[in-house]
Amino acid sequence: MRQKLPLAAAGLLGPATSVVVLMLAAPLALLFRDSLNRFDVTELMIETVTAANYTRFFTETFYWEVLRTTILVAATVAVLCVALGLPLAWRLARTTSRWKSLMMLLVILPLFIGSTVRTVGWMILFARNGMMDSVAGLFGTRVDLMYTTTAVIIGTLSVNLPFMVLTLQSVFEGIDDRLTEAAQGLGATPSRAFWRVVWPLALPGVMISAILSFILGMNAYATPVLLGGPRFQMMAPLVFWEFNTNSNWPFSAALAFILMATTLLLTSLSNFLVPRRYRA
Amino acid sequence: MSYLRLNGLTKRYGDTLATDAVSLEISKGELIVLLGPSGCGKTTTLRMIAGFIEATSGDIVLEGQAITGLPAHRREMGMVFQNYALFPHLSVARNVAFGLEMRRMKQAERDERVAEMLQLVKLDRLADRLPRQLSGGQQQRVAIARALAIHPKVLLLDEPLSNLDAELRQDVAREIRLLQQDRKLTTIMVTHDQQEAMAMADRLVVMRDGQVQQVGAQEDLYERPATPFVARFIGNSNLLVGSHTDAGFRTETGTHIDLAGRYQGAGRATLALRPERITLGETGQVRGTIVLSSYMGATVEHVVALDDQTRLIARGASSGPAATPRFAGGQSVFLSWPAASECLFDGGDAPIPALSHSINERISSHA
Repeated sequence: MRQKLPLAAAGLLGPATSVVVLMLAAPLALLFRDSLNRFDVTELMIETVTAANYTRFFTETFYWEVLRTTILVAATVAVLCVALGLPLAWRLARTTSRWKSLMMLLVILPLFIGSTVRTVGWMILFARNGMMDSVAGLFGTRVDLMYTTTAVIIGTLSVNLPFMVLTLQSVFEGIDDRLTEAAQGLGATPSRAFWRVVWPLALPGVMISAILSFILGMNAYATPVLLGGPRFQMMAPLVFWEFNTNSNWPFSAALAFILMATTLLLTSLSNFLVPRRYRA
Repeated sequence: MSYLRLNGLTKRYGDTLATDAVSLEISKGELIVLLGPSGCGKTTTLRMIAGFIEATSGDIVLEGQAITGLPAHRREMGMVFQNYALFPHLSVARNVAFGLEMRRMKQAERDERVAEMLQLVKLDRLADRLPRQLSGGQQQRVAIARALAIHPKVLLLDEPLSNLDAELRQDVAREIRLLQQDRKLTTIMVTHDQQEAMAMADRLVVMRDGQVQQVGAQEDLYERPATPFVARFIGNSNLLVGSHTDAGFRTETGTHIDLAGRYQGAGRATLALRPERITLGETGQVRGTIVLSSYMGATVEHVVALDDQTRLIARGASSGPAATPRFAGGQSVFLSWPAASECLFDGGDAPIPALSHSINERISSHA
């Protein structure tokens, strides 16, 4: 039995591993190779090994600005997601109402509509002479959110929030309600019981869902393109722009790698925000 | 005046009554056990006392003051949960200190109290461990220390032994009882295990379907059960349903049984007989056939079928002067029992007093 175990494990891990290698690792390796090539207007891609694409990114302030905007939007969205999703998820996790599954469905419902279609909905709301503007017009002011950072943040938030609520809800449901009762029985007010007992226990899960939201925000494409407009730049649209419009595959590959590396770096750094004893 | 009083405590969930007008008087330093099958309302009662559930109606009066409307965090009750509910992110010492921190007790005083509590439950050497690094029995001791650290007005124990190994249970029961007596802690414990309850309680409260069936000391419940339910729940009495007249008892299917005592009136009745009070022999009050004979070590147990196939259990000592003779399956025997050991209940499940023993009983209950 003991002899066969490694074989069985290999058999179980095999299919998933080969899919990951074929579909993820190999293309990434190819992409990285491309990022070291040189771009030529006529020949498009010339095989060589150069760090020129990376140097270009780090020497031109324009790209720095794009990366900064991307991080800013993704981080703001992640923080807002926690702030807005937390109370909702907490109520959902602790409710004994028989409408609970209906409430859950309402949270998931936006996910039934593709994010592009939803963004078009936001466009109708935000546009000049759109719904919000018209309503504001009745009160003699104007609301012009279209093509602003705020619009992009709201749009991305609406995409990420349902994921946030779902993960946080299961985090809270994993925390025994008896702990809250125990804390209250020992003299803690409901809010102290939450912050002293539930919050530290939920923190690793909250971090994970914030990271999830951050990653989704870093890689957002449709929302910044549609709600941010032509002059608003984020990394994912920029990658596509270089790839598609400029046909600059090497630089586009380098941008993709920089985006990925930044996301990974910030994600792993965020781990240190959770005190060690709270880590799962 | 009683220390803690429950006054018609009722909890209604929709159409169902979790507890139905539970009233109880508890003296200071007493250990009361709420006993009953699952769903009888014992845990609901405990949780209402702790303040985790709001009563639909009724009052909880502690030291002469109604605390019914008080939130849990202002009730000063020390609750030990069935699963202990230790804070998994805090060390043993921090768990015990939690209630003191909530009271903003000074650090030095707090450390002293925590040390005292950990010493009390013999866990002073594990103060820095996390709960998950402890065994079940140790976790339970932390839970008790945490509850006692705040010097609670009442200690509430929710099935404290149910998560422990069978072999540990009796020891822990004894330890809790000694601790409770030593510190004169007013304690309410909930359990479904009647042996546990008998071993620990000053008084027991038997509950069923949200109602209190009987309140009394072990002996009251055992010797003078108030309802057939109590007779069966405490000590597993044999229950026979039928009717009684001056001539004796007749089961629903027609078997006649001579009663040891005499009872007033006639009509529908339930007869409760304790297995360990039934003697098997060649003469007796009713005849039966041995179905099964089991040697249990200290006792011998016989399953006896009456002529109408009603089954009774008879239990007796396996050795000593009063040893039960052993019978083989199929053998015919007679069952007999003393008058003081038979309990007769009327159609409304109220006990029917025995005429011939009324004088003796009066003497013994006043003794």
